[in-house]
Amino acid sequence: MILVELRKMVRSRRTWTTILLIDALPTLVAVLLAITDLGPRPGQGPAFLSAVLTDGTLFPLAALAIVLPLFLPIAVAITAGEAIAGESQAGTLRYMLIRPVGRTRLLVAKLVSVMSFVVLTVLVVAATAYVVGTLLLGKGDVTTGSTSISGTSLSTQELLLRTLLALAYAMLCMLGVAAIALFLSTVSESPLGAALGTLAVLIASTILLTLDAANALQPWLPTRYWLAFVDLFRDPILWRDVVRGVLLQLVYVVVFLAAGWANFTTKDITD
Amino acid sequence: MIRTSSLTKRYGRITAVDDLDLDVREGDVYGFLGANGSGKTTTVRMLLGLVLATSGSIEVMGRAMPSGARQVLPEVGALVEGPAAYAHLSGRANLALFDAMGQGARRATRAGRVDDALARVGLGGVDSRPVHAYSLGMRQRLGLANALLRRPRLLVLDEPTNGLDPQGIREIRGLLLELNAAGTTVFLSSHLLAEIEQMCTRVGVLDRGRLVVQEQLDVLQQPTGRVVVHTPDADRARALLDGQVEHQEGERLLVRVPDAAALNALLVGGGVRVASLSAERRTLEDVVLAATSSGSDTFSAPAVGR
Amino acid sequence: MTSFNRWCAVALLVLLVAAVPIGVRAIPAHDERVSAADLLARIRASGDHPYSGYVESRGALELPVADRFTDIGALLGEQTRMRVWWAADHRWRVDKLLVSGETDLVQRGTLTTEWSYEQNEARRSADPDIRLPRTADLLPPALADRLLQDVDESELTRLDARRVAGRDALGLRLRPAAPQSSIDHVDLWADRETGIPLRVEVYGDPAAGPALTSAFRDFSAADPDPATVDFSPPAGAEVSYDNVLDIADAANQYAPVVPPDTLAGLAKSPSADRAVGVYGSGVTRILALPMRGREAGPLREQLLTTVGVRTARAGSLLSVGPLGVLLTGAGDDGGWLVVGTVTQETLLAAARDLATGVRPVPDAHIRHSLTRLRVDR
Repeated sequence: MILVELRKMVRSRRTWTTILLIDALPTLVAVLLAITDLGPRPGQGPAFLSAVLTDGTLFPLAALAIVLPLFLPIAVAITAGEAIAGESQAGTLRYMLIRPVGRTRLLVAKLVSVMSFVVLTVLVVAATAYVVGTLLLGKGDVTTGSTSISGTSLSTQELLLRTLLALAYAMLCMLGVAAIALFLSTVSESPLGAALGTLAVLIASTILLTLDAANALQPWLPTRYWLAFVDLFRDPILWRDVVRGVLLQLVYVVVFLAAGWANFTTKDITD
Repeated sequence: MIRTSSLTKRYGRITAVDDLDLDVREGDVYGFLGANGSGKTTTVRMLLGLVLATSGSIEVMGRAMPSGARQVLPEVGALVEGPAAYAHLSGRANLALFDAMGQGARRATRAGRVDDALARVGLGGVDSRPVHAYSLGMRQRLGLANALLRRPRLLVLDEPTNGLDPQGIREIRGLLLELNAAGTTVFLSSHLLAEIEQMCTRVGVLDRGRLVVQEQLDVLQQPTGRVVVHTPDADRARALLDGQVEHQEGERLLVRVPDAAALNALLVGGGVRVASLSAERRTLEDVVLAATSSGSDTFSAPAVGR
Repeated sequence: MTSFNRWCAVALLVLLVAAVPIGVRAIPAHDERVSAADLLARIRASGDHPYSGYVESRGALELPVADRFTDIGALLGEQTRMRVWWAADHRWRVDKLLVSGETDLVQRGTLTTEWSYEQNEARRSADPDIRLPRTADLLPPALADRLLQDVDESELTRLDARRVAGRDALGLRLRPAAPQSSIDHVDLWADRETGIPLRVEVYGDPAAGPALTSAFRDFSAADPDPATVDFSPPAGAEVSYDNVLDIADAANQYAPVVPPDTLAGLAKSPSADRAVGVYGSGVTRILALPMRGREAGPLREQLLTTVGVRTARAGSLLSVGPLGVLLTGAGDDGGWLVVGTVTQETLLAAARDLATGVRPVPDAHIRHSLTRLRVDR
């Protein structure tokens, strides 16, 4: 079943359109930076963007910081919101279930498919950003490596390792989004409803994070530790928020998958 | 093949299916007849494990549903409330996808199964255009092909001839009878009397969620003990038969006699010209109308019946 | 399984997940029968103990911030996240963590290096006699050290122990006896094992909650790795040396005045022997800073637009929580900025003392420096 879902994902034109759209923004940013040579003022703009001007190899990180807060969650919410509600709306859900495909198995297959989409998107964004970054913005000195946020130097291997960790962390954050959207997809009749519901949760979370009165709630908000991947580039690495972020996302994944499972496996399919 | 007892489904306070005891035997072509909204589709969905019953039990091929779905459903082909497919893929790709879902379908023989199913429903020569370019009839055929993919022992079909032209309806009817002759049990849900009457060996009639009739079709259609006679000499025939005529309508007479052949001999012997003469049988329509209240999509006040 | 049972299982899962952090937080702290005076001694003895960890401080003081005071405004009015590696008094590193960067202070002997990732620059400076507070001053051990200076045992009581950063911490309350003080009390908790203060809460109006809280979230009493404490500017970064650290340092070095030896009954600290005066000790302190017209003018303008400001004969007067701010003079005049954790009456008394007690500096060399400074700027 997982293979079938992957095949459907890869063969869908929408998958590639979405990836292309997500990829377009950081590429545009790189082109603009290369032409104008104007970085954001220090302390403003997405992380790493100011450092990119001197070292294009850092651009994958800047690209990640650009797409992570908004573009990627929207794409994930739409894709995962589509998962069950979309099949239900197209009428294909009932034919899957009477093949028969177990409902739990279907849910897992959908999650794997959404996650593969995320991995694919993140890798495509990182790869194009690396190519675009080194072509347009130039390479830093490869032999000396790069500078960590704390002002120490990082070897190229270390930078690569930390970048991979950051990518993995971003993917995990998106897994949390996918779990929420998947749950809503089993509840809502319409895929758009599920996607918008997920975005509403994320926007509410972002707003509550800026509110001091919501202090007690903040450690539990899904977007609380999203930007903690920046901590991976401090020296020594600040694991505190990253670890909490990982645990929190796992909690979201487990809870919402369980809720999705409880709802979907006992639901009357009446589309 | 299918046996339910006291099957009931409630949505909140509305009872969609009420205390249903279905009995479909192996080899039947079972006609499940009911007006729109009488609970047919809900019943079909319950049989397939899509909708969970409020109470009562279902047994399909000797196993309880939905708990035995993994063993039962691979041997069931179904068309539920219209066909569905991924519109951006071709029919062939759709069938290949559906065939790959679930377990027990060998990959090596997939292309053969798909071609076979398409050929059976008359889509053998279809090109690779996507399903969204298909006509309604083609989609219906594709849906049927999907039901036939795994060579099921039981076919559960909800309105299978929707959207087909008369030629197509006849083809499908032929296909289903052919499959039935080869041993497939067919459960056919429809609101079309003629369709059921032409194909089925056994009929169940659903009215407002209750099963009001369940019987062999030929039992329902047994002779009434009357003979219909068409004659231009109606008055002479009446005189000759003396009180045995129950009803006259122009040249059509209804005569209560046990033996149609003897009646024919009597009339001809009496010099009455007989245009046609046949033993009267009940029609399915009569049975259904007698058993059911007014259509469930009318809401006349005060309510008739319950 | 029925729908109900499944949802019960999910609810159970949620409860279980929520119970873990709540359970961890509910672990009781082990208290110890130790007097306030003994605890104070223990805290003082911990001064040379190394430590490292992660600190969050939160200030509730919304200061009117003119451009030269933005850093301190953020320090006292917002949340600050810090990492610290403290090997010894003159060998430490404190990182101020920003969302997408950081500003680090690295101390080596008397040399401080400030590394800013976003500016890609390292600024070095020698430790001045007088300077404005900075991140390292907010660390619970540094803050406690300052607040407990010259404290009398009669001002101290014990509080129940609590867990801070996963460690047992013994509580101590300081209620200042000085009538000038605007601080109601200070609560602090020190590590039971080492005596290092782990959490400090400063209360002005006790009903309003703490005006300033600083606490470790992660803490280790181990000696930090020397490689971590060391810092050398990365290749490509801009490195500069600052003769003047901030406005307090500048005024102290170059303003041609000397403030009186006592203000409102508080004695001047012996370390302040030039233009800027630091008075009092512990929680009751005043800083008196001479300002030129071009600096005092904009600040005065900003003060006057702040809600709650009082205009007295001595100048503009404002209380932000327990912190009192007074700027003498009017219009675009120069004046004295008097800031302290004291009552408004004390500030006004301080202004009176300044009006009568300021002496011009006798040394002509300094006056010369001042003219040079004006040209430089």
